[in-house]
Formats: sequence, structure tokens, C-alpha cells
Amino acid sequence: MPSDLSSLVHWILFLPLGAAALSALFLRRAGALAAWFSTAVAFVIAGLALRLLTSATGDVTWHVELAKFGGVSLGFGYLIDANARLMLFVVSFVAAWIHLFSVGYMKEDPARGRFFAGLSIFMFSILGIVVADNLLMTFVYWELVGFSSYMLIAHYFDKDFAAAASKKAFITNRVGDLGFILGIAMCLSLYGTVDFAALKDHAAAAKTIPVAVGALLMCGFLGKSAQFPLHVWLTDAMAGPTPVSALIHAATMVAAGVYFMARVSFLLAPEVLHFIAISGAGMAALAGLCALAQTDIKKSLAYSTLAHLGIMGCALGLGHPELALMHMAMHAFFKATLFLGAGSVIHGCHHEQDMLKMGGLLKKMPLTAATFIAATLSNCAVPFLAGWYSKDAIIEAAYHGDHLAIFAFLALAALATCLYSGRMIRLVFLGEANSEEASHAHESPWTMTLPLVVLGLVYSVAGGFLAHAIIPAGSLKPIEHALGEVSFHLTAPSTIVGLLSLALGFCGALKFYGTVRGADALQVVSPRTYHLLEHRWMDGLYRWYVDSVQRRVSEFIAFLDLLLINGVAVRWIGGGVPAVLGYLSGRSFHRGQTRAYAFWIVLGSLFLAWFLIAR
Amino acid sequence: MPDGLFIFFAALTLGAALLLVLSRNAVTSAMGMILALVGVAADFFLLDAYFLGVLQVLVYAGAVMVLFLFIIMLLDTEDPTGAYPWKTAALGLATFFLLAAGVLWLFHWSGAVSAVKAGATPPELSTNPAEFTTAAKSFGRLLYTKYLLPLEIAGFLLLVALVGVVSLSKDNPESNA
Amino acid sequence: MENTSLAHHLILAGLLFVLGLTGVLVRRNLLVVYMCLELMLAAATLALVAFSRFNRTMDGAVLVFFVITVAAAEVAVGLALIVALFRKRGTVQSDALTTLRD
Repeated sequence: MPSDLSSLVHWILFLPLGAAALSALFLRRAGALAAWFSTAVAFVIAGLALRLLTSATGDVTWHVELAKFGGVSLGFGYLIDANARLMLFVVSFVAAWIHLFSVGYMKEDPARGRFFAGLSIFMFSILGIVVADNLLMTFVYWELVGFSSYMLIAHYFDKDFAAAASKKAFITNRVGDLGFILGIAMCLSLYGTVDFAALKDHAAAAKTIPVAVGALLMCGFLGKSAQFPLHVWLTDAMAGPTPVSALIHAATMVAAGVYFMARVSFLLAPEVLHFIAISGAGMAALAGLCALAQTDIKKSLAYSTLAHLGIMGCALGLGHPELALMHMAMHAFFKATLFLGAGSVIHGCHHEQDMLKMGGLLKKMPLTAATFIAATLSNCAVPFLAGWYSKDAIIEAAYHGDHLAIFAFLALAALATCLYSGRMIRLVFLGEANSEEASHAHESPWTMTLPLVVLGLVYSVAGGFLAHAIIPAGSLKPIEHALGEVSFHLTAPSTIVGLLSLALGFCGALKFYGTVRGADALQVVSPRTYHLLEHRWMDGLYRWYVDSVQRRVSEFIAFLDLLLINGVAVRWIGGGVPAVLGYLSGRSFHRGQTRAYAFWIVLGSLFLAWFLIAR
Repeated sequence: MPDGLFIFFAALTLGAALLLVLSRNAVTSAMGMILALVGVAADFFLLDAYFLGVLQVLVYAGAVMVLFLFIIMLLDTEDPTGAYPWKTAALGLATFFLLAAGVLWLFHWSGAVSAVKAGATPPELSTNPAEFTTAAKSFGRLLYTKYLLPLEIAGFLLLVALVGVVSLSKDNPESNA
Repeated sequence: MENTSLAHHLILAGLLFVLGLTGVLVRRNLLVVYMCLELMLAAATLALVAFSRFNRTMDGAVLVFFVITVAAAEVAVGLALIVALFRKRGTVQSDALTTLRD
């Protein structure tokens, strides 16, 4: 490949790092300057990524060796294949508009410099994952993503719930990362390399891949992409500013896991894939239903993200990583729009997040409402909108797969998606205003609506068509191939499921939630069901585990430590030996005289010298 | 029988060192120290290490010992008791002779330093810069190639020592009350 | 410089070292103890130069250079410590400094 493409990647990767450093070092006081600077850089990166996407096809590789330990070489390099091009573009494009949105949203925040420096370092980390050509580099950037998300979620660190949420996200991710790094170690010991290309050759040469490799690598994916059972952090991560939620949920953090799994899909044994598919489908259905029991607009969207992540995981598990990536890209666009729309609504309603207190915003915030509804329809997979292409393809693939259960779960997920989407639209935009704040709502400034319009209308609606127009055929080959495999026709099961759930779910929700005002209809009709969905069972399980199992074990270990190490080893041996020796030598060891100490040192070194010479 | 100059300087060095150890007056000790260091420098000259000999005189006898003398006079360390501690001196000399016997045994009678292998006289001086030469140039060559990193670290160490001394000798009103 | 072998220089270096060691052991004045330490260092450099000369290599001599550097730094810090000690306790006699016992 021509070298100018790899230098393009240098720019894409290191511009955000430079921007972050500059903002963090010099622009912490100059918030407005930092905001616009960061945003400009983000747009430049998006432009560069677009250029990379539309450039000639073929893999861009670039590698420099950093260290060599025996036969193991560790390096820093790029591997830009078709997936990476697409991912680069999606990430940088969505992130650029989120930057612009943040300029408006964070206008009154005193710590803007820190916030935008955080956004830039987040960009740097995620782009590093995308371009990395080996496992270790991926892991380094993986941790950087963890760190920067921690920083961004804890933006309002003086609030207890934000600090707790960031800690929860960080620790949950560490649990997954433990598996990840063990997986890397296992790759090293089995194949002697962490390089993706070399690993692929090894995997192709070997008949079977050990289950453990894939299972361990999957742990990282479970944490970062918030898959069951490590999904608990995602909904709490809403404590961060709304643009951060958009960035984490739409474009970057959660997508990183899916992208990484697609990149190492050749290392995944069938058993691992099977687990991912089942758990993904199950989580998709469950999270979709849980979204019904949230009154906070951002939390509701977070559960929606969980559902879509489940769908992506399911596609991965079914052996269609391209479909997963495609859904990830489509989801990035419409979910970013949804979150930014939610941010705009929250901003407009003077930081009211409770959906039950909103209502009737369609007239007051027409642009936001229009884009939000368009994105919601895409979310529900209305035919010919962006979400429809990928989601229906995945459902179709599930139908052709071996397990009907997966298909059933996905169908349930589709229904649930339509239900909570309809509920959201009904509660937020239709009907009458349910609170003082909502009745005084106002449309947001252009910096916030422009990203909404661009992301929402252009890409959610016309994403499929536009993609074909601007991207050369070769770049999207994996996706086209995957789409070609699953046929579209009206009587296909996926289409039937999609249209049925749309008709039943969406319209039903619109009608059902119109019946009660100022309260949740489901809670009124069936409080037990509502509680079942609202209660956070996994958190309870973890709490029980930490309280009852882990604490007991650690207390026991602490007891052993006190008894054996501290008591026997330190007190008896450490205290006993000098006591005996001191008694024997007339207590000449410890007189506090410097010369006595020197004497013993000399004696010791003489003994050592004798020992060495006599040997 | 070794070279006369060597015997002279060896005796000078050992005698001065003895003065250093045995003298009660710290200033006399310092004078003995200077003399011993000059003797060591002379031995460097006898070993054809002219540059190191000069360095030894400049740094040790010149700078370091002046510093010692300053401190000795500044602190005014008069030995409080009257009589010369003959017992301690005798004990010290006994220790010295014991250890010296060990040294002689190690280097002379044990055969660890083979006279045949090392040669009865120093080998011929070469002009090959990779080997031992008298030129100061070869120090520079090695210092800036093979020993570049240690050189940098040594420079840094001097800086650290400088900072440490400044902070140590700063008058701290709290601890000095 | 006709008849001095490696052993001669090593014996001189060893005797100097041992003398310095004895001084460290028996002297009470910290300043003198410190000078004796320096003497031990000088003895070590002497051995290094002798080895370097007889093995026809420059490395030992360069090491002496570093030893001198480190010794200079050490003297500066050590003397500063002694001065600080004197300011605080009013003495540099090692027998008076037995706080470690308690």
C-alpha cells in the first residue's frame, strides 16, 4: 500500500491525543476555546477517516517493533481492513457531531476544558483499538478506553451517584479485562505471537481452536460491550453528561467490544460462539422489556442499548460478524441521535429527566422531536430505515440458524423494542405537558440541533442509500456479502416478525400509555410486573456475592494472615531469632553504637569473602 | 625486588594512611589523608594512568579534602578526654595486622594472582585506542561511546547530590528550634 | 617501573583498604570515619587501575573515573549530613549517637 495512507492513519490516531494534551495542559481555564478546538479536531479526523474510507481498497498495514523478548515480538502497528475503515469512519463521524453537540450542551459547565480533553482522549483510545494490529496494543488502548470512560462518567464527581457509577463501570470492566489479559497470555503461550495476521494463519492451520482462548478473549468483550452478566455498569453510566452517554453507547465504548470480537472471530471456538448467541439473544429480549420500567429517559435508552448489544452479540455468535458490525454502525447513528435528542430534551426541560413529567414537546421542540421520532422509527426497524437493514438481516440469520430459541428471543426483542419506543414517544412528545418545566420547554441552540438533524435525518433515514453512493463497493464488501446471503421478501419470517411487532408494539404502546396521565400505565395496571422489570436482579446477586461470599473468604484470608504471617512468621521468627542471638552474644547486637554495627558488617563481609574464595 | 619508586610511594601512602587513622587531631588526620591520596596518585602515574593521577590530585587532594578541612574547622571537633587512647589504638593495630595478613595471604601466598599469567612487569603499552593507552583521548572515546549512559547517569547523580545538599543544609526553623 | 608485578599493586591496595577499614572500626570522630571510608574507595580505585593496566584494557580506568565522580557526590551529601547532625545534636562523636538503641 502507498505510504501516504499509513501516514493518514498516524494523523487520525495522534491528532486527538495532541488535542487532549493541549486542552489538558493549556486550555483548562479557557473552556470555550478548548471546546471549539476539540470539535475542530474531531471534524478534521472525521474528514480524514472519510478519505481513508473512500480511498483505494486493500489493507493498510504498518508496523514498528517496540520490544523483543526471545521469540516474542511486541510492536505498535496498524491493520486497516474493510471493517476497520468502516469502524473508523463511523466512530469519528458520530464523535465529531457529538463534539459539536457538547459545545452547546456543556455551555454553562465550569469544567469544560477537562470535559473536552476527556472527549479527545476517549477518541484517541477508541481509534487506537480500531487500528491496532495486535492483541497487546488492543489491550493497552482497551484500558485507555476504560480509563477515559471512567473520567467522563465521573465528570460530575462531586455527586455521589456519578462517582459511584464511574467506579462501577471501571471495576466491572476490570473483571472482564482479567479474562482478556489471560486470553492474550494464552495466545502467546500457544502460538507465540499476538499479531492478528499471524494468529489468523495459525488458526487457519490448526484444525480446532481451544475453547479457552476464545472464552477468555470473550471476557473482555463481555465487560466492554456490557454483555450479560457484566452488563450492570451500562445503565449506571448514565450519571455522566448526556453527550458522554451518547459517545459511550453509540459510537465507541460498547462498539469496541463488538468490533474486537469481529476482528478475532477466527479464534472463537463454536462453543464460545454458541454462548455468545444465546446470552446475547436472551439479553436482547430481557433488556428490551426492562426498558419499559424506567422513567428516566436516559436509563430507558440505556436498556435499549443493552438490547441492541445483545442483538449484535447474537449476530456474532451466529457466525455473522459482518452483520454485527453493520448493525453496530447503523445503531451508532440512530442511537447517537436518540441520546443527543434526549440531551436536547433534557436541556430544553431545564434538566428534567423523568419522562412522566414531560409530554407535549412535539410543538415546543419541533426539530428535536422530528429527529428523535425518526431515529426511534429506525430503532424499531421500520422498513427502509437504517435499523431495518441490519436488524432484519440478523433475525433472518437467526431463523436460518440451528436454534429456534434464539429466533424466538430475537422476535421478543423486536416486540419489546417497539413497545418501549412507542412508550417513549407517547410520554415525551405527545399529549400534554405534565410539569412546569416541560410547559416552558424551548428549542435548543443550533450547535445542538444541527448534529441532530445531520445524524438523525440524513443517516438514520437514508443511511442505506447514502452508504452505497459514497463508499466504493470494495470497502463494504463484507456487509454486502452478508446482506446478499439473507434474502428479503415479504413472506420471510423476519419481515413478518418485524412488521407484526411494529403494528402490535408501537401502535399498542402509543395507545396504552395514553390512558394514564402523569404515571406509568403499566405500573398502574400491573404493579407486580413493573417491579419485576424494574428491580435490578443482577446487582442484587453481585451484592450478595460480595457480601456473603467474597467478604467471608477475604475475612478468612485476613485471619490466616494475622495468625500465620503476622503471628508466627513475624512475631516468633522475626522476634525470636534476634532475641536468642542477642542473649547468646551478650546483647552486643543492638547497642545503638555505629561502630558495633560496622563491626558486624565487616565480619559478615569477611565471612562472605571467605565463602566465595573457598568455593 | 620491586622498583624503588614504587617502594617509596607505597611506604609514603601507607605511612600517611597510618597517620590518618592514628592521629587524634582531625586536622592532622586530614593532612595524612591528603598525603595518602597523593601517594595513590603517584602510583597511578607509575601505572601509566597519567590522566587519572591528575584527576585524583585535582578532585581529591584539591577539592574534597579542602571541603573536609572546612567542615573540620567549622565544627571544631576537639576530642574531650585527656590521655591518648592507647588501648583502642593497640586494638586497632592488632585488627589491622590480622587483616593485613589476610591480604598478604590472598595476594601473595594463596596463588590467586598468578605471577606468570599477569606478568612480572606491566605489558607493553600499545597505541591501539581499544586497549590501555596513556592518552586522555581514549577516556573521552570510551566515555562517549560505550559508557555514555553511565556518564549521563553520573551527571544526573551530581545534580541530585547538589539539590540534596542544598535542601539538607537549608536552615529549617521547625527542626532547628 | 621495571619489576612491579600485579601482585605488588594489589597488596598495596589491599593494605590501604584494610587500614581504612580499621579506621572505620576504631575511630569515634565521624569526620575521620568518613575520611577512612574515602581511603577505602581510593584503595579500590588503585586495584582497578592495576587490573586495567595489566589486562591491557581501558574499562577499569573508566570505572575509576566514575568512582571518583560518585565519591565526590557522596562526600558532598555526607558532609552535609554530618553538619546537619552537628547542628541538631552538637556532636560528631559516634559514641554519643545511640538513639537507635531505644
